[in-house]
Amino acid sequence: MPDASSTLEPVTPPESSADSAPQPPVAHPDAAESLKKSGPIDIVRYRWPYALISLAMVIPALVFMGLNMAELPQHTPVKPGIDFVGGTLLEYGFSQPLKQQDAGRIAKAFSQAGIKDPIVQIQAPVLTPEGKTTGPDAVASVVSVRISRLPDEQLAAVETQLRQQQGSFQLLQKNSIGPTLAAELLKNGLLALGLAYLLIVGYLTYRFQWDFALAALVALAHDTVIVFGLFAALGYLYGVEVNSLFITAILTVVGFSVHDTIVVFDRLRENTRLLYSKKLPFAEIANISVNQTLARSINTSLTALLALLALWFLGGSTLRDFVLALIVGITVGTYSSICVASLWLTWWRSLQRSGEATTTTV
Amino acid sequence: MRSAGKGLLLVIIALVAGAIYYSVEHQPRLGLDLKGGTRLTLEAVPSAAVPDITPPVMDSLHTVIEQRVNQFGVSEAIVQKAGDKRLIVEIPGVKNPEEAKRQLGQVGNLEFKKEGPDGNWQDIGLTGKDLKRARLETSQGGEWIIGFSLSRQGAERFGQLTKELAPTNGRIGIFFDNKLVSAPAVQSPILQGEGIIEGAFTREEAKTMVDVLNAGALPVDVEVIEESTVGALLGETSIRQSLLAGLVGFGLVALFMLVYYRTQGVVAVLALAIYALLSYVLFMLVGVTFTMAGIAGFILSIGMAVDANILIFERMKEELRAGRAMVKAVEVGFDRAFPSIFDSNMTTLITCALLWWLGTGAVKGFALTLAIGVAVSMFSAITVTRTILQVVMGTQAATRQQPVTFSRG
Repeated sequence: MPDASSTLEPVTPPESSADSAPQPPVAHPDAAESLKKSGPIDIVRYRWPYALISLAMVIPALVFMGLNMAELPQHTPVKPGIDFVGGTLLEYGFSQPLKQQDAGRIAKAFSQAGIKDPIVQIQAPVLTPEGKTTGPDAVASVVSVRISRLPDEQLAAVETQLRQQQGSFQLLQKNSIGPTLAAELLKNGLLALGLAYLLIVGYLTYRFQWDFALAALVALAHDTVIVFGLFAALGYLYGVEVNSLFITAILTVVGFSVHDTIVVFDRLRENTRLLYSKKLPFAEIANISVNQTLARSINTSLTALLALLALWFLGGSTLRDFVLALIVGITVGTYSSICVASLWLTWWRSLQRSGEATTTTV
Repeated sequence: MRSAGKGLLLVIIALVAGAIYYSVEHQPRLGLDLKGGTRLTLEAVPSAAVPDITPPVMDSLHTVIEQRVNQFGVSEAIVQKAGDKRLIVEIPGVKNPEEAKRQLGQVGNLEFKKEGPDGNWQDIGLTGKDLKRARLETSQGGEWIIGFSLSRQGAERFGQLTKELAPTNGRIGIFFDNKLVSAPAVQSPILQGEGIIEGAFTREEAKTMVDVLNAGALPVDVEVIEESTVGALLGETSIRQSLLAGLVGFGLVALFMLVYYRTQGVVAVLALAIYALLSYVLFMLVGVTFTMAGIAGFILSIGMAVDANILIFERMKEELRAGRAMVKAVEVGFDRAFPSIFDSNMTTLITCALLWWLGTGAVKGFALTLAIGVAVSMFSAITVTRTILQVVMGTQAATRQQPVTFSRG
């Protein structure tokens, strides 16, 4: 492509898709160069391996969600926490170290007071500012208790009994949510999720074209299902519950993943216009675009992941599930932007082409 | 270097200087999950007496709850409306959250009734509204009692009532929230409107009742629909952990940028530091309350903020590879990368807007910090990075008369 390197004029940045009239073919130098050396990703050749990787994550995710829907009393794909069904979550810091069997004794104290099905877990200790787990104010064991909502007097009675039974403790945290508020939080969470999809598809349709938006939506659904699946599995196997922050994590992942997809698509749109005269198949252009943006996609996710890993290891236990959802979601989201969104778009366009035999325009 | 760039550089330096000054002079407002305390969400419940929760009802509820909260003597307590029928009460560092909750939820309705001939209590229209003041007192027997003074109108009615009851030693029933607290027999008419309430109270009970009576009755029944208490120890631990995670997160991102992008990386790290500083100050200016989720949003936005820089640098590399001169590469790189940066950040802002609109508490905090973070990151990447790069290139080009080479590409 000798004409490529001779064009040194800056190419005007692509504008909104509103002007889809074919522009004069100005070849982009590196797009042309990239044609010669192919990148590490080949969405044409490795179409099936990429699809298989996705399926290997999506299918178990769906299985665990199905298992939960069959077995949980609420028939939900993930285990809902107090935010969504109401209830009380208590966290006590005991000054003496507790063993696993103490969980049973603590649970018994609650059920003897007439509280149905208390869930008691013993967690890692919280360090004092001096980094100690002993001393008058220190916490050697953290116990979390999940119960239904109950009057304060009743709770106070159980706490008195616990003090006699297990030694002194302090209240680290208490969260209590009534059923009406819980129902509202669930409704608003699902509404936010649904609206996010709609608005993102709307925005993409406005900035690109509807089939770009649809391909991005497939990638988003892919990411959402996998993160849901992870928490479905954690809930099924370890009783992990999800709260409002889980929905927040999903929405953030959705935003981040589509953010990645847009960068790839933006390049694809630009290249389609620039390589118009080359009569390249759409799949080739998509391949070039994916590889051109690869370093950026991976680097951006890496920096976000570095920040999140710091939070995961150092940020304390309160937000750990939230951060986990973000870490997994952003990793999967990066994969889907590279290997799912453009794959679907290419597949869709090739179907159209074989049907109508039109030239590629974006 | 063009003068526009120079002007911009001055603006950036001025902004940074201002931000440093502001952040030294001001303390961030910490959420209850970081400083410890209790947050209650109260919801007004319609009753036969108040079937509709109207804005005036909420206003007077707000006033009464605020007065009661003030009696806790805690500084920085907040009472604010949320939606049409809810109040959020935040009480930092409260020692006994159960007591606070009981006191706020108590309707505080005082009623005087007279005993009828058949032993029934009859309404006489004398209520807590006719009260001027209530006081905590002790009786001669050393018991905790509540002394009260009635308003002029109340005193008149009370005088009439006692005059009527005195000859037969009839009884007055004193009801607090529909519970009979005491029923003294009237010995002689009481005309000054002064009286006491006995009831074998503990000091706490009597004190609570005095406070509630002085703040006035709630205009409507309330229900505590959400309670969130964080102990002081956990709050302290959380601050340390969040701070450490933030610093390490920033350090890791900076290290990555330096290792991978070398010269440009230095610029990106500088831009990132400016970004973090400006966002922090903007959070304080907007009045963001720092919560754990909010700080997580901020830390995540640090990771995402470099994205715009990465987009630009990758694009510049391509332009350089294609044989463009350095100065041109910077310009084209920025121009080409901008639509991607804008579009991709828009989607994050869309999700943040939804979270802000539909979320509560922690979710709102996360959405706000992430959104401000993303907005500032666009500014810092486009303006700050560009300006610094131009300055760096300008000086280098002047001294060496050759394009700056990058170590990778």
